[in-house]
Amino acid sequence: MMRHRFLAPLLAAGLLACGAARAENTLTPLHFQSDGWRGSIDKAAAQRGFAVYQSVCASCHGMSGLHYRDLEGIGLTPEQVAGIAASIKLADGSAATPDSLFKPPGAVNMGGAVPPDLGAIVAQRPGGTRYVYEFLTGFGPAPDGMTLLPGHFYNRAFPGGQVSMPNVLRDNAVTYADGTKASAAQEAADVAEFLTWSSDPDLAERHIIGLRTVIFFALLAMVALAAKRRIWREEG
Amino acid sequence: MTTETKQGGPRAATPCLAGLCAGLMRRDLAPGAPWLSTLPVLLGAVLALLLASGMALAVFYDPRAAQASLRFIALEVPAGWIMRGYHVTGAGLGFVLLYVHLFRMLLTRGYRGPAAAGWMLWVTLLAALLLAGWLGFALNGGLGGYWSLIDAISASLALSGPAGGVAMWFFGGAPGDGTLARLLVFHAVLGVAAAGLLWLACAATRQARPAPAGRMVAFWPVYAAQAFAALALLALVFALLMCFAPHWGQGAQSQLPASSLAVPAAVSYPWYLTPLAGLTALFPGAGGHALAVIAAAAALYALPWLDRSGGGAPGGLYRALTWLLGLDVLGLGLSAVCPLAAGLQILLFVWFFIHFLVLTPAVTAMEAA
Amino acid sequence: MVDHTADANSVPVGESRRGFLAILAMAGGAVGAATILWPVIDALNPDAGSEAAARPVVTVSDIPENTARQVMWGGLPILIRRLTDKQLADNETVSMDDLPDPASLESRVAPANRHFVVVVGLNTATPCALEGNTPSEPRGDFDGWLCACDGSQYDPLGRARRGPSRRNLPIPRFTFINEAQIQLG
Repeated sequence: MMRHRFLAPLLAAGLLACGAARAENTLTPLHFQSDGWRGSIDKAAAQRGFAVYQSVCASCHGMSGLHYRDLEGIGLTPEQVAGIAASIKLADGSAATPDSLFKPPGAVNMGGAVPPDLGAIVAQRPGGTRYVYEFLTGFGPAPDGMTLLPGHFYNRAFPGGQVSMPNVLRDNAVTYADGTKASAAQEAADVAEFLTWSSDPDLAERHIIGLRTVIFFALLAMVALAAKRRIWREEG
Repeated sequence: MTTETKQGGPRAATPCLAGLCAGLMRRDLAPGAPWLSTLPVLLGAVLALLLASGMALAVFYDPRAAQASLRFIALEVPAGWIMRGYHVTGAGLGFVLLYVHLFRMLLTRGYRGPAAAGWMLWVTLLAALLLAGWLGFALNGGLGGYWSLIDAISASLALSGPAGGVAMWFFGGAPGDGTLARLLVFHAVLGVAAAGLLWLACAATRQARPAPAGRMVAFWPVYAAQAFAALALLALVFALLMCFAPHWGQGAQSQLPASSLAVPAAVSYPWYLTPLAGLTALFPGAGGHALAVIAAAAALYALPWLDRSGGGAPGGLYRALTWLLGLDVLGLGLSAVCPLAAGLQILLFVWFFIHFLVLTPAVTAMEAA
Repeated sequence: MVDHTADANSVPVGESRRGFLAILAMAGGAVGAATILWPVIDALNPDAGSEAAARPVVTVSDIPENTARQVMWGGLPILIRRLTDKQLADNETVSMDDLPDPASLESRVAPANRHFVVVVGLNTATPCALEGNTPSEPRGDFDGWLCACDGSQYDPLGRARRGPSRRNLPIPRFTFINEAQIQLG
């Protein structure tokens, strides 16, 4: 797009900042690269998060609207995407292609509760990314005096405190390709970043374009105001 | 006259262009108009953007899978998220401009005398845009819009007589697969109609302008420069909202998928529909809602004749009461977001009508005397 | 307008400054308007799904020898056939004089892999389906395709050989993206 020409140095500075964030420990204190008005998707974390989604979440939760080819948005190469798709058996028995939609889960019924679709879950829950992390790490023993409904589990982040979903994330539930230690908290943070991307794939582009557009129109507004004042002084 | 016709030449070949240029250069405008007088121009620009982005959205929108197709637009269509941003932010900002302009017309008594026709067109524009906005809210396919639509259709199904006939004509019977497809057409037609209404309203206001007197200026370059600077500022605010607060003012349920199983305790409306929702909340059923809306619209339409002042600048008491009316409308909007005490809700509702039907005639007559 | 010019002549410095500001503002406005409107134009381009559907990828490595696979593309049946060595040898020596629509073997087979023929599977005389994709179907005298509607016969390269048909089966645009897959379009 034509806007890419504007303020290229600014973009370069932004990219450098993104690169620096990758090596950090994002768990203590908890923070996400997608946070804030300049946030962008941490692609390495989102790729790890996809691995968690695929091996842990996907058996019960759908991911509506996404095609496997869309994974190129978190930095996977077309070859990697083709490999991922080829390893997935669709309902009709054929292998998925990069152009297939994410495979919907089989019918799961947790005692009447239907697992929600995760495609836009971060946009649909107050607290977004942080809520997903708090929820996934919020399981534990129920406090004294709280009686759980049958088939329910205590979760301090869930409204009401009890939920039909069991605690599914454990240390080393997946093996990360990039060598990151797969603690349960790391898995939760990574899957939260992946779901942030799936809810809002244009987050990074929106922030970059937004910053450039705001600067452009701020300058234009100043020029236009100066021109207006001058014309009004002479003619008004 | 004769010299002009004889000069002819290239100007005669493009009489339209020449006429337009002459119109823009004609010194028939009073100098020193405030910034707020650019609001109609800004609203026109926002409407144009809404029409353009609406056309692009309509190409890919599927009324039978409303929210899924909007997700498809965001994910698969080139610049799809920008089109949604234009449409959502444009709707929110357009209503800001419209509400401020109407409030300014009230405050400056821009509805009196020869401007009455213009005022009534502005009120009609408000009605058209509110209806288009509500239809857009339903077309969004969110939980709130879905239930707002279902409630409206079920209530209209219970109506009898001509009112029921009109409601059934509009909704096309019980909610079903074709409902949103039908409402999409109405939404688009209302958008185009709004552009025409805006043009008519501006033309009517122009007709009502006082005859040139004293030193006058031309639109070009004096007001062109002002409008241009205002447009640049609008674009700045637009970009800020669209890129850094994309869900601004849309209501808490706009992101949740429509579901016939999850019934929200209360529909959360986009901010621009909240005054209307607050106004209708006291009266149950489609009949009551329609009655409240018609009464409010009638009060606005009748305003030029409710104002008893002969002319002259609005007095201090009138201005204070108009500000109070603005607070009243804000309060009505607030009541649709978080429930207020029943007494306060009734007071806000009654005050709206007291302002127009009692206070306006009394105060204007008093200030004229 | 006349007054305005007179004013301007009396303050030439201010006029040039004002002219510069106005030109800068108008140029910026034009750029701004273009950036605002460009995405509207861009959005009417085909979506990612249509783009993918317009250029489908077909895996051909699992087509058995002497067999054709039919895929639908753009509303047309596309036949992808793997030739045997014998068919290649037989058709290399056909005299051009025997063909109603002369075409060499090289112009009919895939450049990247001589064992594959990709054609639009519609009879060129009477628009009608062809038989002969599998060895068990009737294939006519040339071991290629046969149209049951009018009796047109084609050889394995898709060249018209006998019957009312006077034109070869058209070859769609395609490329081998790797050893095993071709992309149509």
